[in-house]
Amino acid sequence: MYLLEFCKMLDKSAIGTAIRESSLLFPVIEGVHVLALALSVGLILITDLRLMGVVMRKRPVSEVWEQFFPWMMTGFAVMFTTGFLLFWSHAMAAYNSTAFRVKLLLLILSALNAVVYHLTVYRKMDRWDTALVPPAGARTAGWVSLIFWAGIITMGRIMAYTF
Amino acid sequence: MASVFPFFEWCEKTALFRVISNHESVFPALETIHLFGLVLLLGTTVILCLRLLGVMMAKQPVAELAGELGKYTTSGMALMLSSGALMFVATAVRNYSNTSFWVKMVFLAAALTFHFAYFRKVIRMQDSGMVQRRGKVAAWGALILWFGVALSGRSIGFLG
Repeated sequence: MYLLEFCKMLDKSAIGTAIRESSLLFPVIEGVHVLALALSVGLILITDLRLMGVVMRKRPVSEVWEQFFPWMMTGFAVMFTTGFLLFWSHAMAAYNSTAFRVKLLLLILSALNAVVYHLTVYRKMDRWDTALVPPAGARTAGWVSLIFWAGIITMGRIMAYTF
Repeated sequence: MASVFPFFEWCEKTALFRVISNHESVFPALETIHLFGLVLLLGTTVILCLRLLGVMMAKQPVAELAGELGKYTTSGMALMLSSGALMFVATAVRNYSNTSFWVKMVFLAAALTFHFAYFRKVIRMQDSGMVQRRGKVAAWGALILWFGVALSGRSIGFLG
């Protein structure tokens, strides 16, 4: 129930109300949230495809990762900031939205997928860094990430209909 | 503009229009596919632009990166254009009086022309001083035009 109280508080707050009722703030924040997809999920997609061994096979996985990382993190910083502001302005609608709950669950699952990857196959990366097709564990992490992110985008799109 | 209005009206008399408007899950599905296309098209374009600006994947030749990512850019474009065309048919008459829609079409025509007439040629050139100079123009041009398409597209539903 703490969660419900928290959502109610956000929903009623001055900032939440201001974003919700502004004819410009909400569309601008949402627009930035959608555009940052290119940098965040765009870079995740190519990283996943490299892990699956289908793209940029001539480049070591570590090189792709190091080169993408700062930009990907910039993209995700924008995603989480704008996403939290959008949530702030519609906290109660989000609380009652099944799509939003599934979206959060998928976000947590994709974070777990990344943690599992880093604790397992990633540790032995020096053995497969330059492999054209990485080992099964890495390919699986790539596939799982791809499917989860497709789900996150789909749920994000569906939840907007309930607002 | 008056001469194209009958086309917009005709769109809403087609069987396609009826199918999309009679099934409430079709339009959201098209929007989701449109977003998947955005991730592919804009994601790979942003990577190439960052490479052209010299701030990412500097060790990899531009032409090699372009060869690797080209089919994903093209797939993204195909997804966006087909889902976009279907959404257009479903909302044709509303689009006609929507300023953002026309701004988006102008940006889209400019972005596509720039992509095929300039961007694709620059990214396929072998690295040289020429690529570096043209690369900056190609990168900024593509970023401004594609994000113009995306932003004006987003405002179709909000600003009208």
